[in-house]
Order: sequence, then structure tokens, then C-alpha cells
Amino acid sequence: MSSPSFAARMPSLQVAEEKYSAYLGFDPQGVRVYFRGTISTLNPSSVLNPFVDAVHAHVLESGAKEVRVDFTGLEFCNSSGFKSFIYWIELIQKAPEEKRYKLRFVSSKERKWQKTSLLALSCYGVNLVTLDS
Amino acid sequence: MQREPTGFRDFPVQLMIRMSPPWVFIDEIRRFVESFCACACPGQDREAQVALAVHEMMQNAIPHAQGDEVELVLEVSREADCIAIRVTNRCGDADYEALRERVDRMNREADALAHYVAAMRENPSARGGLGLARVRFEAQLDISVRREAGRVIVEAAGPLRAPRLPAIGGVHV
Repeated sequence: MSSPSFAARMPSLQVAEEKYSAYLGFDPQGVRVYFRGTISTLNPSSVLNPFVDAVHAHVLESGAKEVRVDFTGLEFCNSSGFKSFIYWIELIQKAPEEKRYKLRFVSSKERKWQKTSLLALSCYGVNLVTLDS
Repeated sequence: MQREPTGFRDFPVQLMIRMSPPWVFIDEIRRFVESFCACACPGQDREAQVALAVHEMMQNAIPHAQGDEVELVLEVSREADCIAIRVTNRCGDADYEALRERVDRMNREADALAHYVAAMRENPSARGGLGLARVRFEAQLDISVRREAGRVIVEAAGPLRAPRLPAIGGVHV
């Protein structure tokens, strides 16, 4: 029996809270993960880290070499939520070298905090993080 | 052409908010501060940084306030080219000492970005510990902490006209 299709597993690759959501989707350029809303709760990593784990496992399985992380619909992310992206980079760093992939962050010029936050993240995840706008 | 109110340019503008319990309103406070700053210091492109700083400082204060009120004061002076954010809350001895030690350690590192990246490395899975480093680098504000009458005051202050942020390879943003 063949393994379930990716579409059948899609529901586990999304989270939705009152003020924010995240889900994995596809576009012609490959895997794309969307973050929407406002991440400002006290401990968002309890929701986001399991989602990141699931996305990471899927990307390793698919063999993708780049994931677009779409922030264009993300109004704000507090430092506690930001740690989930640090956690994501750590997961990639721990993966076998041939399995590692890059995170390409797609940001919004209108949301100015994204520029400085992603700049700092790119300094943390050197060679793993690239920035688009 | 619309004229500014007389004296607006010459005197500090102050915003004070005192809230209890404020957690559910933190997004509204951030949005309001961003709008307020855009009006109080037009053309300085500072509002997003100040809003981020206020959010992080309030977020730090609320869990330690022991249910008591948290006070936010924001001062903008175009004449003196400075902006200051003060967040005050009730605080126990152990919490204050831990915070003071963390701020002292942060300020001993002259490079705000280097400290911020080091803070990211410290314990990615633990909750907290990144907010003030983020304020210092991303909002380009100096952080200090002091205590008065059982309440801790965390202040972030800096120039209204912030220099552009340094980045990898000498690029500035």
C-alpha cells in the first residue's frame, strides 16, 4: 500500500490560534510556509515549535533545498515567537549536511520591523537564511 | 497647508498609559504607540522601532507585575533629538536582581548585534530572554534598569534620528 499523499497529511501542517495562523502551501517556486496575523501571546512556541517540527520533517522527506517563509501577512511577531524561527534554524543545523535546506524569508516593506528582525536572524543563521522583499 | 500647533516642535511630547491587567491589550498598545510616534515625530521613520520596543518591554513587565498595574511612559523631544520609553511595575528582589544582572551583562557587550545573536544561541528552546536584546539592536535604544519603592523601572532611550543599522558585509538598512 502506498503512503498517504501529501494532500492527505496537509491538516497537520497548519496551526491557527485566535490572532495568528501558519500553514504550509505550495507555489510554482516550491515549498512555501505562510505566517499570518499577530504573534504576540506569552508562549507562542508551544504552538509554533510543533508546527515547525512537522514542516521540517516534511521538507527533509521531500528533499527540498529551499523553503520560502512568507511574512507578508504577518503584522507582528514578539521575541517569544521569534524564537521559533531560531529553533527552526537549529533543526536545520542539526540535520545531516546533505539534507540541509535554506530558509528564504519573504517580507513586507510596509512592516518595517521585519527588516531588522530578519537581518538579525540572517546573522544567526548565516548560510541558511536569505532575505527577499 | 496644515500648520503644526504652536510650540509642538519645541517641547517634549509625553504619553502615559497605566493598565491593569494589560496583557490582552498589548497589541492595541503597540498599534497606538506606532500611530502616536508617527504623529509626534513625523519623518523620523522611528515609529515601528518604538512600537516594537514598547511591546517587548510591556511583555517583559506583565508576567512579573504580580497582578499589579504596569505603567508606560513615552517621551519624544524633537528639540533635544531624543526618545525615551519607561515601563514600571512591581517587582520582587530576586526578579529585580536577575533583571539587573542581565541588563549589566548586555551592556558590557558594546556590539548590540553581537549580543543579540549570542542571546539567540543561549537557549533557543527556553521561553524569554531575547526581548531586551532585541530592543537594544532593532530599536537602537540604550537599556537601563533601576528600582524605586519596590517597583522596577526599565528605560530604553536614544536619539530620535537613529543611525542606519549595520549589517553583514558593511551594508546598512
